[in-house]
Amino acid sequence: MTAKYERTWEHRRAAGRSVSDEARTSYYGLPTIHKPHWKWLIIWYFFLGGISAASYVIATLADLLAKSHDARRIARAGRYLSLATLIPSPILLILDLGRPERFFHMLSILKLRSPMSVGTWGLTIFGGFCGLSALIQAAQDGLLAWARPLNRLLLALPRRAIGLVGSVFGFFVGGYTGVLLSATAVPLWARNFLLLGPLFLTSALSTATAAVTLVLALGRRVNRRALHVLERLDRLALAIELGLILAVRLNAGAVIGRPLRQGRLGALFRWGVLGAGICAPALTHVVGRLMRAPTRLVAILASSLVLIGGFLLRYVVVMAGRASADDPEAYFAFTRHTRPRA
Amino acid sequence: MLSDVQLIGTTGSRPGAMGFLTDTTLCIGCKACEVACKQWNQLPMDNFGWTGHSYDHTGDLGATTWRHVAFIERLDGADGQRVDVMPPFQSHWLMMSDVCKHCVRAGCLEACPTGAIIRTEFDTVVIQQEICNGCGYCVPACPFGVPELSLFDGKAHKCTLCYDRVTAGLEPACAKACPTDSIQFGPVEHLLERARQRVADLHARGVTSAYIYGDRAVGGTHGIDGLNALFILTAEPEVYNLPAAPELPQDKVGRAFLSTLGAALALGVAAVAALRRL
Repeated sequence: MTAKYERTWEHRRAAGRSVSDEARTSYYGLPTIHKPHWKWLIIWYFFLGGISAASYVIATLADLLAKSHDARRIARAGRYLSLATLIPSPILLILDLGRPERFFHMLSILKLRSPMSVGTWGLTIFGGFCGLSALIQAAQDGLLAWARPLNRLLLALPRRAIGLVGSVFGFFVGGYTGVLLSATAVPLWARNFLLLGPLFLTSALSTATAAVTLVLALGRRVNRRALHVLERLDRLALAIELGLILAVRLNAGAVIGRPLRQGRLGALFRWGVLGAGICAPALTHVVGRLMRAPTRLVAILASSLVLIGGFLLRYVVVMAGRASADDPEAYFAFTRHTRPRA
Repeated sequence: MLSDVQLIGTTGSRPGAMGFLTDTTLCIGCKACEVACKQWNQLPMDNFGWTGHSYDHTGDLGATTWRHVAFIERLDGADGQRVDVMPPFQSHWLMMSDVCKHCVRAGCLEACPTGAIIRTEFDTVVIQQEICNGCGYCVPACPFGVPELSLFDGKAHKCTLCYDRVTAGLEPACAKACPTDSIQFGPVEHLLERARQRVADLHARGVTSAYIYGDRAVGGTHGIDGLNALFILTAEPEVYNLPAAPELPQDKVGRAFLSTLGAALALGVAAVAALRRL
């Protein structure tokens, strides 16, 4: 195996500062903590797992609250979508391990103070509910008519009760990922430990609503009222999400929040997450209504933008966290801040 | 500067806990500890090259580096002029052999989802290589940047405080190799007592900046409750690339889940209100 070292000894020495000068405030500007290795696999998992979790909740609520054709369509789309986005999740997580063949070692222990341990179990249990609800839906849709006993069993199960219990785990899967990030020494994540869970959960709801909208709008078999209801839900989620993102940005402060302001990540945060992901969908709705554009077209456009923005949010949060872990000034700002008064 | 409270030297270590005392005022920067550690633990070589940071070509602790000697040159004063007064110790050099702190309450151990990271009978923190599946969660969970995933086997590695040697009644390889006794090994309670005496002695000799890093007052607050690897430092912790007040990351888990629960309830209500109109 040829090992390639990622470590380089670049440092942040400012122009005009001597080595001794630099050594007064940090150790040559070298990172104090190790950043996590999480990259694309984990970013995709955060995105897909969030959609899976929240579309399950949407499906359950639609099934519980309304009896219209539209509600049934939303429930069906939500359940299938939930399963479709759940299936890649464990695969992505296992591939991310240094030793993928040992993934089951996580399933032999439960540690309540380790969000990854709790999350593994939460995802496993949610996977069960997700699969079961999708099977019940398949039975309702007549897809399992060839397996009579199974079909009858599935149709006899308490669909709504299963959905409710599964939704509790759905909410958990949607939000624990934010808690997982904040229970680290990474300054950007740890400083925002009260906000990341809610932010990931809200983003899960907005992206799942957008995904359900997109599936229904592309499928053509849904009327305008249903799309408007989903649009309202998405607008609500996006408004909360915007508030949480701005709170993260404010709470991070000048030094720890640097990756959200500067460089490529800063631009992605401004134009991608806030611009394309939150402002552009809202604008699309407004312009679409003013121009009396077809509801389906507006829905497809807006929900695609929400999905792109949701993915970029996970990307920026993960990558900006890694950047803040590499910055000793950010870490010391975090550990100095919490220093007790003598 | 450092206040008096940091000189108290108390620890949450359990009686009988074994650990290190690294007295940086005795370190001569020979890197014998690094070499002895590599040899005993059969660790592969690191990135081979020059860093440009004084004599430190190791850089930091990692999967294949369990002792790391830091070199800090202080050759000019605050005004940029060359200093011409020799301080009582270490001339204008600070050298410190960094190592895993074997925290009394360890972030890596609490984060580990497989149970691979355990606390041994010596109260040290060890990663069991036959269990670790390389999830990498211990890496960012350490407030000191100690564990790291290896590029060779995909698993997390760090100092074991020479668990194999200690069980056989030997001291760890680095402490054995240290020619100036800058690295000392023994029960933490004894080491702390010795550290207190040494700091008092240094103060009497004019090194008033000396203090213990790793007791409860500094380096061990916010849930970590003390380190089993103590250090005697003569400058701010940041100068040695150590955090002034590290936190135990897991102390936030409960509150973080509570705020997420609050968000879940709020979003649930919002979703019910919106979908009711269907």
